[in-house]
Amino acid sequence: MRVLPLYVVIGGWLSMPALAADAESWMGRLAMAEQKQSYEGTFVYERNGSFSSHAVWQQVEAGRVQERLLQLDGAPAEVVLVDGQMQCATDELAAQVREAQAWHGQRLDPKALSEWYEFRQIGDSRVAGRPAVALAVVPRDQHRYGFELHLDRDTALPLKSLMLNEKGQLLERFQFTHFSTDIDKQQLTASSGCKTVSISKREANLSSGWRSDWLPAGFKLLDANQRPSPASSETVSWLSYGDGLAKFSVFMEPLRGALVEDARSQMGPTVAVSKRISTADGDVMVTVVGEIPLGTAERVALSMRTGAEQAQR
Amino acid sequence: MSREALHESLSAVMDNEADELELRRMLAGDNPELRATWSRYQLARAAMHKELIEPRLDIAAAVSAALADEAAPVKTQRNGWKSLGRLAVAASVTVAVLAGVRLYNQNEVAGPQLAQQAPQPSIAVPQTSQGPTVLAGYSEQAEAPAQAAADSAPVERWHEERLPSYVRQHAQQAAFSNGSESALPYARAASMEER
Repeated sequence: MRVLPLYVVIGGWLSMPALAADAESWMGRLAMAEQKQSYEGTFVYERNGSFSSHAVWQQVEAGRVQERLLQLDGAPAEVVLVDGQMQCATDELAAQVREAQAWHGQRLDPKALSEWYEFRQIGDSRVAGRPAVALAVVPRDQHRYGFELHLDRDTALPLKSLMLNEKGQLLERFQFTHFSTDIDKQQLTASSGCKTVSISKREANLSSGWRSDWLPAGFKLLDANQRPSPASSETVSWLSYGDGLAKFSVFMEPLRGALVEDARSQMGPTVAVSKRISTADGDVMVTVVGEIPLGTAERVALSMRTGAEQAQR
Repeated sequence: MSREALHESLSAVMDNEADELELRRMLAGDNPELRATWSRYQLARAAMHKELIEPRLDIAAAVSAALADEAAPVKTQRNGWKSLGRLAVAASVTVAVLAGVRLYNQNEVAGPQLAQQAPQPSIAVPQTSQGPTVLAGYSEQAEAPAQAAADSAPVERWHEERLPSYVRQHAQQAAFSNGSESALPYARAASMEER
């Protein structure tokens, strides 16, 4: 059922000029540009139930990347990052981030990604008044979503990114409406609402009391942690997985006999699936949250096992 | 009322130009054909605005049920009581509509192509047995009246108390914790904060 519509989507892309080699070189340029190019612009973000507009300023000087992001409508969510490390943020936006990995983990790596995604050049386009090249990022299996990327012909930065499910339905839109490589340096300074955050840095933690019996190909454990439950005195185990592009989190909270049913919901690209599983220590609610298809999330949730060793793939 | 007049009223309701008495006239009667037309209009509007809507959800049926319990305003009533009655009708309609909004936002993602589907038979009452959950992005729809109308059982509340926090933790960790490219994951995280 799921595979058939996927072929329809891929078929549509195949019928356009497919220049895989060019697409890979564009992906390579994109990976470089994100750490080397100064720019500013405004963009919109849209998903099911949400539409917002934002401004971004990024300055790269002597290898130091300074970036400020500011939501332009509603509450002014703001964050300033230096070399990817958060310097300040508005209250809610960073409330859940208490520590960061000391290493630059998930850089875009087109070579590694090409094992799980196929890159195709599908044509020319124009975004934010600038000529762009449109690429299809097609998943090689049903366990991840595809993208349509529109890269600026001049800088190779993404001016537009559409996430699509296996039926070709749009899950989210990220699109610049204004983009410039001339940057107003004064705008790099945070506003007073941006509160300094000190986030402890640590190495990625790959040990937890949990492991997954099954993972979609290409997904690796990125980090693990334990936190107090948002609603009880229990401790919640958190595991984070990624394939280099898509990510999902797994939360495990002991139920201690509570009568809770399974649940599932989807907000644009983000799915949340809760499944009750039995362990020697009583029932546990496993919740998988991430930008992966529902069926994949369900299978991951049902595959979580207690055990000292984390299965590495 | 003639068929044409009813459909004209329906258009007025769709354009938010009808007063509550016109809305009552539209929805109070047991008129499945009219309700089907209402559903089609809703779908057409949703498709035009590229809104996502659940076609199987019949808000009109819930509104009709609310109206059935209300006594129709009588012309001989004194003005004060009349307007009070109108207020009560308006309030119950609001609750029914809010509950509907809350329900269809909980449904799985559905593209504009939903508009191509034929409207299904109505679901008159919000179903709380599916284990629905309210996520952070939708907290504004889960205001007090909707909460009361949907009457969330403790079973669902377990998820409602946790999922918003889990979703935010996932989004913020993905955006800020490992020095990766940040504009798109930042926007995703910010979209979970909308109030």
